[in-house]
Amino acid sequence: MVIGIVAGVLLAAVIIVVALFKLMWRVAEPNEALIISGSKHRTDGLEEGMGFRIVTGRGTLVLPGVQAVRKLSLDLNEADLNVDCVTKQGIPLKVHGVVIFKVGDDFVSIANAARRFLDQQKFMGDRVHNVFAGHLRSIVGGLTVEDMIRDRERLTGETRAASGTEMEKLGLIIDSLQIHEIQDPTGYIKNLAAPHAAAVQRDARIAEAEADRLATEAEQQAKARMSQAQRDSEILQAGYQAERDSAAAKARQAGPLAQAAAQQEVVVQETRVAELAARRREQQLQADVRKPADAAAYEKRTLAEAERDARISAAQAKARETELAAAAEATRVKTAAAAEAEATTARGTAAATATRATGEAEAEAARAKGLAAAEASRAQGLAEAEAIKARASALAENQEAVVAQQLAEQWPEIVRAGAQAFGSVDHMVLLNGADGVSDLFAKALTMGGTGLGLARQLLAAMGTADGPGAGTRAGTGPVAGAGGIGAGTGDAGGRDGGGRAGSGGHGRGDGPPAGGPAAGPPRAAPRVERVPVEEDGGIPGAGAR
Amino acid sequence: MVGRLGRVTGTVGPGLVGEVMVRVRGGAEAFLAYASEPGERFERGAVVVVVEHLPPRTVYVAAAYG
Repeated sequence: MVIGIVAGVLLAAVIIVVALFKLMWRVAEPNEALIISGSKHRTDGLEEGMGFRIVTGRGTLVLPGVQAVRKLSLDLNEADLNVDCVTKQGIPLKVHGVVIFKVGDDFVSIANAARRFLDQQKFMGDRVHNVFAGHLRSIVGGLTVEDMIRDRERLTGETRAASGTEMEKLGLIIDSLQIHEIQDPTGYIKNLAAPHAAAVQRDARIAEAEADRLATEAEQQAKARMSQAQRDSEILQAGYQAERDSAAAKARQAGPLAQAAAQQEVVVQETRVAELAARRREQQLQADVRKPADAAAYEKRTLAEAERDARISAAQAKARETELAAAAEATRVKTAAAAEAEATTARGTAAATATRATGEAEAEAARAKGLAAAEASRAQGLAEAEAIKARASALAENQEAVVAQQLAEQWPEIVRAGAQAFGSVDHMVLLNGADGVSDLFAKALTMGGTGLGLARQLLAAMGTADGPGAGTRAGTGPVAGAGGIGAGTGDAGGRDGGGRAGSGGHGRGDGPPAGGPAAGPPRAAPRVERVPVEEDGGIPGAGAR
Repeated sequence: MVGRLGRVTGTVGPGLVGEVMVRVRGGAEAFLAYASEPGERFERGAVVVVVEHLPPRTVYVAAAYG
C-alpha cells in the first residue's frame, strides 16, 4: 500500500518534473532565433542592460511566467518593386524588380531586427518595399540604361552603396536585387537596338544576298558544266557515229573492193597466162620458123660463100698463073729486048744520021706537002661541013640512019684511035703472033677496070679529033666500043662478068633469107603482146595464130 | 572576426561599398567592406584580411599577403 502510494507519488513527481521541464526547455531551430526577455543575461557581442538574450541553434531553459520567449524567423524574404525611375540620362523608365533579403545572422542584426520587426514580421516585405523603392530610384538614377541592362556588377555595387548602411540599421541583409522588367515608354531601348538590329539585318541581307549569289553562281556553273558535258557528249557521240558510219561504209565497200581486187588478181593472172602463152608461141615460132629459116639461110649463105671463095680462089689462081706467065714472058722479053737493044742502038746510031738527013729533007717536003694538004683539007672540010649540015638538016628526022652512017664513016678513025694506045711504043715485037696481040689488048683493057676508061679515052681522043658532033658520038661511042671489045675479049669479059654476077648474087641472096625470118617474128610479136591485155586469155592464142 | 581571411565579392575601392565573404559561425556571410588604408583598391576575387569589424556588418580589410 505504502509502496503503491510511494510509487504513485514518485510517478506523479516524475511526470510533474518532466512536464515542468517540458514547459521550461525551449529549443531554437536553425532558421529562427529565440528572443528571451525577462531576466538579466549576458550575450556575446551585446552590451550589458539590453534586457533580453538571443538563442540560436540550441535549447535553453526558460522560466515560465518569469521570462518571455519570442521567435524571430531568419528565413529569406522577398519584396516586389514597381518603381517609376529616371536614369542618369533623364530617361523615364518603369522598373519591375525583386529584392531578396533576410535578417542578419549575427546577434547585433538579430537584436536590431527584433526590436523593429518582432511583432510585424508579416509586414516586413511592405516595409522593405517602401524603403527600397526610394533606394531603387537613387540606384537607377546613378546608372544609365545600358549599365542597367548589361553591367550587373555596377547594379549590385550601386545597390550596396545606396542601401547597405540603411539595411544595417534594420538588421537586414540584401542578398540580391533582381530587375525583372524595364518598361520603356520612350522606345529608348528599341532605338538603342535599332542600329544593331539594322546592322544585323544588313549583315543578314548581305549574307543572304551573298549566299544567293553564290548559290546562283554555283547553279549557273553547274548548268554551264552540264551544257559543256552535254556538248562534249554530243560531240563524242557524233564522232563515234561518224566512226561507225565510216566503218559501216567501209564494210559495205569491202565486198565490192575485195571482189574487184580478186577480179584484178584474176585479170593479172590471166594476163600473165596470156603473156606466157604468147612467149611460148614466140618461142615456138622461133623454134619452128626462124631457126629453120636461119639454118636454111645459113646453109645457102655458106654454100654461096664457099662457091664464091672457090671461084675467087680459082680466079686468083688463074690470075696468079697468068701473072707468073706474064712475068716469065716479060723477063724473057726483057732479056731478049736488052740484047736486041744493044744491037738496035748500034744500028740506030748509024741509021740516025742517015735518017736525020733524010728526015730533014723529008720535013721540007712534008711541010710543003702539008701546006698544000692543009689547003686541000680546009677546002675539003668546008665542003664536008656544008655536006654534013645539009645532011643533018636532011636527016634530022632520021637520026638512026645518020648515026649508022656516021659510025660507018668513022670506023677507020675508031680503029686508029684504038691503035693509038700502042702508038707510044715506037717499036713493039710480038713473039707469039696474033695471040700475043689479042692477049696484050685484053690485058690492057682489063687492068684495074681501065677497060671502060680506056674506051672513054679513045672516044675522047676521037672527039677532039672530030670536033663538032662529038656529043652524039660520045653517047654512042661506048656502045660500039663495048661491042667491039666484047667481041675481042669475050673470054676475059665473060669470066669477069660471071664473077661479078656471082658475088652480086651472093649479096642479094644474103638479104632476103636473113631479112625474111628476122623481120617476121618482130612484126608478129607486138600483135601478140597487144591482144591479151584487151581480151580474155582464150583469144590471145587466136591472135597469135 | 578580426584576423580572418575573406574573399572580395564586390570591388573594394574609393567611393565604392565593397563586399567580402568571410567564414564565420559555421557558415559564410557577406559583409560590407571598406579598405583599411584609404585609396586601396581590391578587385573581385582578391583575398583580404579583416583588420576591423564594426557590428553589425561592416569590416575594414587589408591585403592578405602584402
